[in-house]
Amino acid sequence: MKLHEQSQNLGLRIVTIQVVAFLLLAVLGVRLYYLQIVRGEHFQERAENQRIRLIPIPAPRGAIFDRNGNILVDSRPTFNVVISKEPLKTIDTDERIPQYSRGLSLEPQVVTERLNAINKQTDFETLILKDNASMQDIAWVEAHSLEYPELRVELQPQRFYPHGKYMAHILGYVGEISPKQLESERWAGLRPGDIIGKGGLEEYYDEFLRGRPGYRKVIVDSRGRIQSEIEVVPPQAGQDMVSTIDLDVQMAAERQIENSASKRGTILAMDSRNGEMLAMASQPSFDPNIFVQGSKTREGRKQIAEYWQDEERPLYNRAIQGRYPPGSTWKIPMSVGGFQSGVMTESSNAFACGGGIQIGSKFTKCMGNHGTPTLIPAISRSCNGYYYRLGLKMEIEGIIDMIETFEYDQRTGIDLPNEKIGQTPKSWRPIVEKREGRWPDIRTVYASIGQDTVVVTPISLLRTISAVGMFGRMYVPHFLKEFRPIVGTEHFDERPGFGFQRPEPKIIEMTPGQQKMIAQGMADAVTGGTARVVNIPGFDVAAKTGTAQDGDPKAGRKDHAWIVTYAPAFNPEIAVIGLIENVGFGGTHAGPAVKGVYEAYLAKKNPQPAEPTEVAKR
Amino acid sequence: MVAILEKHSLRDFDWLTTVLAVAIACFGVWQIYNAVPTASIWSKQIIGLSIAIFAFLVVAFTDYRRIIEAAPIFYGFGLLLLFLVLTPLGVEVNGQKAWLWLPVVGQFQPSEFAKIPTVLMLAKYFGDRKPVPLRFKELLIGGAILAGPVGLIMLEPDAGQAITYFPLLIAILFLSAVKVRYIVATLLAAAILIPTSYYIGVQSGVIKQYQRQRIEAIINPEAVDPRGFGYHTIQSMITVGKGGLAGIQGDTETSQSVLKFLPEPQTDFIFAVTAEHTGFIGCVSLLLAYALLLSRLIAGAREANDRAGMLVIMSIAAGLAFQIFMNIGMTLGILPVIGVPLPLMSAGLSAMLATFIAIGFVVSIKMRRFVN
Repeated sequence: MKLHEQSQNLGLRIVTIQVVAFLLLAVLGVRLYYLQIVRGEHFQERAENQRIRLIPIPAPRGAIFDRNGNILVDSRPTFNVVISKEPLKTIDTDERIPQYSRGLSLEPQVVTERLNAINKQTDFETLILKDNASMQDIAWVEAHSLEYPELRVELQPQRFYPHGKYMAHILGYVGEISPKQLESERWAGLRPGDIIGKGGLEEYYDEFLRGRPGYRKVIVDSRGRIQSEIEVVPPQAGQDMVSTIDLDVQMAAERQIENSASKRGTILAMDSRNGEMLAMASQPSFDPNIFVQGSKTREGRKQIAEYWQDEERPLYNRAIQGRYPPGSTWKIPMSVGGFQSGVMTESSNAFACGGGIQIGSKFTKCMGNHGTPTLIPAISRSCNGYYYRLGLKMEIEGIIDMIETFEYDQRTGIDLPNEKIGQTPKSWRPIVEKREGRWPDIRTVYASIGQDTVVVTPISLLRTISAVGMFGRMYVPHFLKEFRPIVGTEHFDERPGFGFQRPEPKIIEMTPGQQKMIAQGMADAVTGGTARVVNIPGFDVAAKTGTAQDGDPKAGRKDHAWIVTYAPAFNPEIAVIGLIENVGFGGTHAGPAVKGVYEAYLAKKNPQPAEPTEVAKR
Repeated sequence: MVAILEKHSLRDFDWLTTVLAVAIACFGVWQIYNAVPTASIWSKQIIGLSIAIFAFLVVAFTDYRRIIEAAPIFYGFGLLLLFLVLTPLGVEVNGQKAWLWLPVVGQFQPSEFAKIPTVLMLAKYFGDRKPVPLRFKELLIGGAILAGPVGLIMLEPDAGQAITYFPLLIAILFLSAVKVRYIVATLLAAAILIPTSYYIGVQSGVIKQYQRQRIEAIINPEAVDPRGFGYHTIQSMITVGKGGLAGIQGDTETSQSVLKFLPEPQTDFIFAVTAEHTGFIGCVSLLLAYALLLSRLIAGAREANDRAGMLVIMSIAAGLAFQIFMNIGMTLGILPVIGVPLPLMSAGLSAMLATFIAIGFVVSIKMRRFVN
């Protein structure tokens, strides 16, 4: 040390500064060791997580065809405005809500819901902010790409229902999975924002119709903008479904209800030989496209709310969810029950009409005075008095046996969700006995003609009528004809095709003679009884009409008009039933409707030779 | 002059210090390239480095004693520049008026350069005094010399730069025989006053919300506003940690800075880029290079011919050490995010030039250690 300042310990002080400097550097070295060596892998993983994103590629859903290859449901391309998750972490989302709302014409509340939903999902990067984006929306997103780099436009196949409100109840619609569904076992593995079937075949066969989404694995920057693509897994489309519906028959049924007096009702047609549903019309109806496109627009939400509030209940499928008193159509299963319980036989089946019946102080009338008819005229002329006495003879136990035979106490098993079960003396009996002490005879009388304690779904009645024509073979009604196979790929397994797993029909026991008598009664109703309106030359329809009181007669509502039919009467191939709500007599109102359906069916079956001019055109 | 050059200059020229400084700066250019490979910042840095080396040589071959004699002029000039920053000639960037634009010279940061005249002024004042225990009056004068530039910088406001001025004075006071009991008393006072004043500052609103968040982000970066200042700290730590032992090899396209996760990668967070690309090995090598450089400077101080020369070197060394620690400590998440560049590494002509001029003084002083 040149300065000779040992008195001040200058050398020591310089060393102190040096040591302090080295100590500081050593602290940095230790910290480096901790961050890079001890925790290195953790930070590598975090760096990877924040730069790698999976962007789902939606899979097209399988189409649905009618039995002749006509398209009933399809997908068409639309555009979605999607929002990325990562950049949202660094921006004030509250500020964005009014901006998105204005730019994309969305309700602020919808935007808020979307932003909340994206925070809940972990795997995937994006969520749909607005689907079915208009050209204006797309232009707005593109024009503001610097301001809002978290927004992007993506192509998405959207469900389209070309026939609108027709078949809406059969087909159902699609929509985003609900939070509740996400938790259920059936939808395990799905994510918020995924599209699933809601109602109808879309819901029932969702796992087959639904495709498997692919994804793009991309590298994003800190603002979520895609820098490069690492991997692409293309989606696998859903399976196409061929349904048993015959579009022509279906549309005929739809038009018949539309042309009816009340425009409310249901018409069903089924192939008697196997349970394939040819048509199922229920009106009033709804447009599933509204649900697909409109749930995020003000108009759409309003329309959907209107559907829910409409007193005519357009959203419910009258064919499987409506429960109606069957009225006189109930006499067909009652006739089978009469034979099965042994109160009548092929040779002994006459009961007095008596113009009605006296139970205690109350006289319940028949529509006419039919003397003491046997079964065949009792059916063809719809004699109430006959069935009052048959029912009393069967006793309520006999009627309940019949109800169990025809399975009115359970679902038919049709491949649609939310099927209802009817209410019958079987379900009412414990309640009535508790309330009134016993099951009164008058209720047995009413139950014999399908009133009071009897309400059934049209689909369960269709099944009965078809089975009676088919010598007791009771099939499960269904819409699935075939799911077409999808070939496997590198990423997804093959999806084999399959048809409806048809269970063996339940056999309703009756002798050929018994069956023939009932069939004859129904055939006579067409040729000379209550159902003459469905008489079609050259095609022997068997039918039974019904006129059912809707609630308390004092309420002043008109009766429901019923007709249940199958054809040909002695070699059945098709069963058709019709119900028109609150219009009056069954033969007058439901009859022509069902006849119209038969005509459409026959036009298809026996095509008329084309007009010469049309031949020339071809 | 030529004779001097031939006689001792080349013989006594501190080649090792020079090569070390230039090597670190070149390493820095490589890291700037890694940080922003697409921009031309790295090539600008090379130009800056060339200018800095030229200035370094001019200073190194000038007699430092003459410069120290003229210290008050330089000091006054430095204060003038810092004052001009506050006038309309100053350029505002991100709410801070830290830059000055002058015709011909262009845009630069006077707070970087003003350190040199401040050091010279302090060295001149404390170098002339007798080797007796420091008196209170001298302490006040030292504080006043520092207060000039620090006060003007705080008006910009640039608290980060202002903080880097304190070690310059502290080192000089420490070496000017300030009594050990004063040091102990100061440390105790700091231990009590800093948390207290922080608390009062927060309560009274003198310490702004963003400053508080930066400080609290150190304690728990995940909890304090992970989108804001915590975000910088987290991203810096991820970037450093990701480097692992040997750094990311080749996979530069997905680096933290290229994907813009790391803020300010070429300036304040250049060390994080270094850590990501060269790993623990590269970082420790850099720290060792800094340690070696500081050792060379301090060794030069021991050999200095006069007291003023010794103080200049030690003040510069302390300033460099402090700034290295502040910057890397911030990068590693142990110190708050304060905008202090990493000496010789961070992109920026002003800092590079100022650092090389400072080292030029050191070399000049060492070169004249045998001259009387």
